Amino acid sequence: MSTYFRQLGAIVAKDLLLELRSRDRISSMGAFAVLAAVLFHFSLDTSTTRPQDVAAGLIWMTLIFGGLLGVGRTFHIESQDGAMQGILTSPAHKDAVFLGKTLANFALLFVVSLLVLGVFTLFFRLELGANVGWLVLVLGLGSLGFVALGTLFAAVSSGTSMGETLLPILVFPLLVPMVVYGAGTTGRLIAARPFSEVEGNVKLLGAFALAALAAGAVLFRYVVEE
Amino acid sequence: MVRIAGLRRGGIVLTLLGLAGLIGLYWMSFFWVSTELTQGIVQRIFYVHVPAAWTTFLAFGFCALTSGVYLWLRDERLDRAALCAAEGGLVFATIMLTTGPLWARIAWGTYWTWEPRLTMTLLLWFIYLGYFMVRSSTEDPERGKRFAAVVAIIGAIQIPFIHLSVLWFRSLHPQPVVVRPDGPSLPGDMLTTLLTGAAVFLVLFMGLFLFRYALETLRAEADRRARTSTI
Amino acid sequence: MPETVPAASSVESGVVLEARGLVREYGPVVAVAGIDLSLAEGDSLTIFGPNGAGKSSLLGMLGGAMRPTRGAVLIRGQEISFSDPRWRHRVGILSHQGFLYDRLTAEENLRFYGRLFDLPGLSERIGERLERVGLAERRTVQVRHLSHGMRQRLGLARALLHDPDIVLLDEPYTGLDPSAAAMLRDVLAELRDGKRTVVMVTHNLKEGLESATHVAIQVAGRLAWRGSPSELDSADFGRQYHAVVEGEA
Repeated sequence: MSTYFRQLGAIVAKDLLLELRSRDRISSMGAFAVLAAVLFHFSLDTSTTRPQDVAAGLIWMTLIFGGLLGVGRTFHIESQDGAMQGILTSPAHKDAVFLGKTLANFALLFVVSLLVLGVFTLFFRLELGANVGWLVLVLGLGSLGFVALGTLFAAVSSGTSMGETLLPILVFPLLVPMVVYGAGTTGRLIAARPFSEVEGNVKLLGAFALAALAAGAVLFRYVVEE
Repeated sequence: MVRIAGLRRGGIVLTLLGLAGLIGLYWMSFFWVSTELTQGIVQRIFYVHVPAAWTTFLAFGFCALTSGVYLWLRDERLDRAALCAAEGGLVFATIMLTTGPLWARIAWGTYWTWEPRLTMTLLLWFIYLGYFMVRSSTEDPERGKRFAAVVAIIGAIQIPFIHLSVLWFRSLHPQPVVVRPDGPSLPGDMLTTLLTGAAVFLVLFMGLFLFRYALETLRAEADRRARTSTI
Repeated sequence: MPETVPAASSVESGVVLEARGLVREYGPVVAVAGIDLSLAEGDSLTIFGPNGAGKSSLLGMLGGAMRPTRGAVLIRGQEISFSDPRWRHRVGILSHQGFLYDRLTAEENLRFYGRLFDLPGLSERIGERLERVGLAERRTVQVRHLSHGMRQRLGLARALLHDPDIVLLDEPYTGLDPSAAAMLRDVLAELRDGKRTVVMVTHNLKEGLESATHVAIQVAGRLAWRGSPSELDSADFGRQYHAVVEGEA
């Protein structure tokens, strides 16, 4: 058992260490987050729309597009020197490899999601008040489900001739629950509604993330098999 | 070879039966069943649309199931069955998505409505698309089959979540009058027509499936012979 | 395909690595068309062959990097399982790709693999291995700053980190400068201590014949010729090789 967690930990640590050294995924995701918020701000006609009303949806769309940027490259780091084969021929369990990569991606996306929240709060003049904690939770759960699906399909798309361009096509239909529950809940929390009103949806978001993680862990081995 | 011929024959018979049934169904929906109170004549397409949607969902479920067993047992026939089910499902979904908006325009004056069945069919159509794209864009065809199986399985797992979220979303946003008659509260002749529709589409699907399956089996056989003859 | 010399039998030592009817197909392309092998402890097999003969696919199947389309690979009598990865501790793979991460240091790369293999006493082991391949002073240097020869050395250290008793080498001499090649030769000589089983694929006739106990030539997915190097010297073998390859063409 502890071997399993040691292997998982090794992969998370390795991915994060590589990201720390090169900083290319986090910087592109971060820059995207800020620039998207800027463009979204300019796309609104404030005479007909209140920024606060549409912020929730735009936050989640920014998260998804930015997330694709980062998650799509998750197997790119392994491809340069054939490192993926090194991992696959080691005794590491395939689901540990999947969970390790997913957790590392989650760490990255979660940080970016906080940035997105901060930037939108600033640009769209949101007043988060006491619901900040809950907002962070919702963003976390949504990010988790997203990276689970994204990591699995990144492995699939990197094995095709279309590469990363296939990723949105595969992932987007499955993100409907994440967007519906995530944005819906975020909207209400931003509008200072009590958490009890959105509790049910948050639980569903959590269930969605869990299902995605479990399915990914089981199916990953079939994707990476040669 | 004999088995394949039998499948083909069965496929053709069922397809013809299904097409005949379809004509019967159209007759029933336009001339026999009583008119619905609130929507009038336009509602009749319901008896064709709803079974078509059900068949798409069933096809997908079957595809996901056979894909799962394929990953486990690695029997080529299971993958072939999944492929044929996916194709059939995609065909029915396409028909639904092209006729649906036309009907919506006539019935409600708008081309698109986020009605749960239609929405799910749209999303399923894209999941099917992903299934086929992934299958055909790998260098090693075996990998393509595995990738496609994974797409089908994850899709099936997420369907309940998608359905729930769409329903919840709609409950917040009032939509134009939706097709009401859905459950056991359906008056007798409407229920009969609906069930007939379900049977007809099922038969049609099975016919197409068998026919396609026979074709795939032939193709696999031809490949195998081509390969062994070069050694 | 008829064999010119029958494969040496190794019944007494016990069979360590065995291949039974291995076939590998990529769709319509047949890379490996049915290969049987039987290697005992201490055996060292070198496989020669033209490009496209399927040597990398064979090695890939022996190392569990890919599933055979048909046939089985057995390690000490047990068929390798893709669901229980514990047998992977016994196999070490060195390919012309190093499986290394550019932005990690030599030490960090080894530590990563060491943790995947769950090896005890990792720090000493890493120090020892780096010492052995002559990279001790470079332990904190990122791989992207290492020369090709140094990367191959590090790749070798990684492949042998967990002390595997089966070592598979895919064109290890490719692109090595003379000093790195010499070091590789030394390390490989050490490996042939009678307790390990080595399978090497190479184009290098001289290195390949030196200290091999068995030699084979793979052409078009089959082992067209097997023999033992004591029967021939380099020049003879060169002629034999061309005869076999052209014969199959």
